[in-house]
Order: sequence, then C-alpha cells, then structure tokens
Amino acid sequence: MIIAQLIVNSLIIGSIYGLVACGFSLIYSTNRFIHFAHGVSIVIAGYMLLLFHSTLGLPFILSCILSIIITSLIGWGMYNFIFASLQKRNASNVILLIASIGILIFFQNLIQIIFGAGIKSMNLFQAKSIEIFGAIITPLQVVIILVSICLFFALYLFTSHTKIGRDMRAVADDRQLASIMGINTKKIANYSFIIGSALAGIAGILITLEQNLSPFMGTNLMIKGFTGAVIGSISFVPGAILGSFLLGFFENFGIWFLPSVYRDAIAFFLLFLFLLLKPKGIFNWNKGVKK
Amino acid sequence: MIAPYIFNILILICIYVILATSLNFALGYTGLLNLGHIAFFGIGAYASVLLVQAGIPYIIALPAAGVIAGFFGFLLILATRKIKGDYLALVTLGFSFVIHSVLLNWTSVTRGPLGIPGIPKPSILGFTISSGFIYFIFALIIAFITWFILNKIVNSPFGRLMQATRDDELGLRVLGKNTSMIKTKVLIISAFFAGIAGSLFAHHITFIDPASFSLQEIILVLTIVIVGGLASLRGSIFATIIILVIPEILRFLSLPGTIVGPARNMIYAVILVAILLWRPRGLFGRVDLN
Repeated sequence: MIIAQLIVNSLIIGSIYGLVACGFSLIYSTNRFIHFAHGVSIVIAGYMLLLFHSTLGLPFILSCILSIIITSLIGWGMYNFIFASLQKRNASNVILLIASIGILIFFQNLIQIIFGAGIKSMNLFQAKSIEIFGAIITPLQVVIILVSICLFFALYLFTSHTKIGRDMRAVADDRQLASIMGINTKKIANYSFIIGSALAGIAGILITLEQNLSPFMGTNLMIKGFTGAVIGSISFVPGAILGSFLLGFFENFGIWFLPSVYRDAIAFFLLFLFLLLKPKGIFNWNKGVKK
Repeated sequence: MIAPYIFNILILICIYVILATSLNFALGYTGLLNLGHIAFFGIGAYASVLLVQAGIPYIIALPAAGVIAGFFGFLLILATRKIKGDYLALVTLGFSFVIHSVLLNWTSVTRGPLGIPGIPKPSILGFTISSGFIYFIFALIIAFITWFILNKIVNSPFGRLMQATRDDELGLRVLGKNTSMIKTKVLIISAFFAGIAGSLFAHHITFIDPASFSLQEIILVLTIVIVGGLASLRGSIFATIIILVIPEILRFLSLPGTIVGPARNMIYAVILVAILLWRPRGLFGRVDLN
C-alpha cells in the first residue's frame, strides 16, 4: 500500500520537522528574530548523547537528561552572552540573525574538530519493524510521532494555562505593552531560550536515534523547521508544529511524482510561496510578521 | 617554495575582493539582505568550467559565467522583491541551499560530490596563464575593473538612488522612483561580479566541488563585508586582506589538515560576532544594518 506508507513517512518526517520547529518558534515568538543557531543546538544534543552514552558508557536515560541540560545551558549562554547584549544596543533583528548564523557556523566547526567530519550513527533500539495497514514503521518512529504529538499538546497547554506561558504570549503579542504591565521581558526571553533549547535537545536525541549524525545537519534541519513554522504560523508554537506535519506531507507526496532529489526544492518552494503570499501562515496567528 | 604560497594568497585576495565588494554593493549600498551570494559564486564557477570543457574559449566563458550568475540573480530578485528584512535573508539563504543541492544531485552535469578535477588554467588568445605571478596580475586587473565599475556606479546618481532605496524605500516610491527596478539592477550586477569571481576561483584552484560553495562558505564573505563596514568598498578591500591573512597563522602552527579548515571558519565566526557586538559599523562603515 503505497498511500499508507507515504502517510506514515509523512508523519515521521513531519514529526522531526515539528520537533525542530517547536523550540525555534517558541524562541521566535518572544524574541522576534530568527534564531538560526537553534539548528546547531539540536546537533549538539545529538553529539552529547553520543559522547555520554556510546563513548563514556553512561546509562541511556541519564545521557539523555544530561544532553538536554547541556543543550539548554548552551541556549541560555547564547542568549545572555550574545543576543541580550546585541538587543541592549537596539541591534536590528537582521543583525541578530547574522550573529546567529555566526554561532551556528562556530559550533558546527567546533563539533567537526572534536568529533570529526564523518557520519556517526548510534544504532540503538533496532527493534523489528511493525506493519500497520500495509505500511512499515519501526517502534522508534512510533515513539517520535507520539513525542511530537505530546509536545504539541503540552506546549499548547503550557502557553495557555501557565503563568510563564501566558507571559510569553503577552510578550509575543506586544513586547512593550507586556513590559508596561510588569512582565519582566528579559526573564521571559531567558525562559524561552532555556525551554526552546531543551526542546532542541529532545529533538536532537530523537533525530540522532532515527537518522545519522553529522556536524552539518543542523542547517538542513533548520531550513526545514523554519519552513514548517512559516507554513503553520511562525509565532504560534502549535501552528508551527502542524505546519511541519504539512511540510512532511507535501515533501513525501511531492517525491511520489518527482525524483527524490527534489525533496529540498519542494520545501524551498513552499517557503518561498508562503513568505510571498501568506507570511502569517495558514493559521494567521497574530502579528507574525511585523513588516 | 615561498613564491607560489604568496601568490596563492594574493590571487585569493583579488577573488574575494570581487566577491566582497559585489556583496557590499547589494547589502551595504542597497540594503538587499542577500545571504545567497555564495550561490552566484558557485554558479559562476560551474558555468565557466562547463563552458571551457565544452570547448568555448576562456575569454568568452569568463563573461558568460558572470551573465549566467546575473541571470540567476534576476530570477532571485524577481521572486523576492516584495520580501524584506530577515525573511529576505532566509529566502536567499534557502536559495543558496537549493543551488548547493542542485550541484550535488545533478550528477550527469556536475559530477555531484566528486567535483570537477583538472580544470585547465585560463588560456586567452593562445596565451595560457600558467604561472602564479601572471594569474595574480590577471586577477588583479579584473578586481581593479570590478572596483572601478562598482565605485563609478555607487558615486553616480543611480548610486544615490540605491542608498535612498536602503534608507527609505517608501519615500523614494512616493517620489515616483521604481524601487523594484533599482533592486533588480543592483542584484543582477552584484550576481554578475560574483559569477566572475567564481570563474577566477575555479580556474585558479583547478578543482571545484559543491562543498566549496556550501552554505557555510557565506561566513567568510559576510565577515569581510561586516568587518570592512557596510556601504564602503574601500572597507571591503581592506577587510579582505586582513581576514584572508589572519588564518594563515594557523598554517604555521603545524595543525593537522583536518583541523585547519574548520578552525579557520571558527575564527571567521568569532570575528563576525565580535564585530557585531563591539564595533557594529566595522572599519569604514557608514550605515547600520537594518
């Protein structure tokens, strides 16, 4: 059943993009700049897992927790040592984007020096594939889909039912007004970087288990996650995740008709189309684009 | 032994002067946030090599590489002229990403990841440029012509229109100027020179592969433009010399070859972020990036 397999593949790849997009979108919504180095946070998490679990031989769960904590700390560091100082000087979001690309390239090359340029794979959890409606899927892929659906609901509840979440939405909506109302915007930005990078950590671990690990995979993931976020709604986290699933479907059904090398071109074309025609995304959530 | 090494650096400086001044022409003077400049460089390199391999003389292949890159510049601006700011930056970044993946996957033409080895040195009217010194003079002449043309344009009435587009596009449109047309012309010219630089690069290195034009290569030329300062051609030229010479220190540390490349990119990234943090206008910059 080719259709069933395509749907399953779309769900898997959509979940991966969604995992990338959710943290990125959380950071974007409160900070209003494209944190491109989010891609490298994901890769860092993957390599940390490799280091702790495969090299140092720590238990798997402990390695995962450590990887997420380290990724989170690095995200916090990026914000406090670089972005916060740039923002204090009223640097435009373009400057912040360029700085973020600088950070991405810095860490990509650092990883290459430490771990080598070659592709690494963990080869954990090689359980037998299962068959659902004629489509083949591994248990790990089921976990990935479930985690991203859970995150989707958890983030929805977090942004609508907790104090920090509501403050984040207030800052996302109107930074100045939120600050007048007594919300500490710097604290909220800090939280968004810590939580967003922790999400990058979760994404990194799952992607490492599912795909191979290479120092430069962050850029590709980031472009896909960003495209997903733009399709959904860049400043509305659940929208960004749904958009990523849509991107997964577009890609997989696209390469049903086209040669598979066009996979990246499909994403780029969609990114293009949405930025041009519908920059607020299909969910049309608040002031996604300020210009 | 030392002469080829020195000439190699000098030739690369000429090539990157062309690349950086042409990026500054779009980014600094016109405010077009093009992060896909490296794609034009790659298109120029591949176009020139493929044309020469098809038997076309270099004297035609060189400008043709520029024209082909310029054509892609036209396509890019045609699609993006309504997008601004960081969104434009992302789309142009995506553009270079797509070009890279085309170079990687269109194996029947580009040989994919294997790259094209054994590119002949340029031969002009029967004279082959084989020595480093002559190639340097050749690259220097082209770099000078590039600077001369770009400098002429930025100081012309059109140059003032470019800067006005950057500073207040709406205001300029109120005055009845067609800003889309200005941006289109600027990006075509910018891409044209990037293509020329690509051709010079390919025939100098004599080997090209998609990795030479991957996304992370943009860091070098972006760092040059930001360090030199936006809207300053002179700044870009100075910065090219500084930025290309600094990492040469790494060569004398006898590091293993696999570390030199990444270490160099890390140095560029650190310089880029440091300049943004502490001296956002660079050496000779006159405007802020907005």
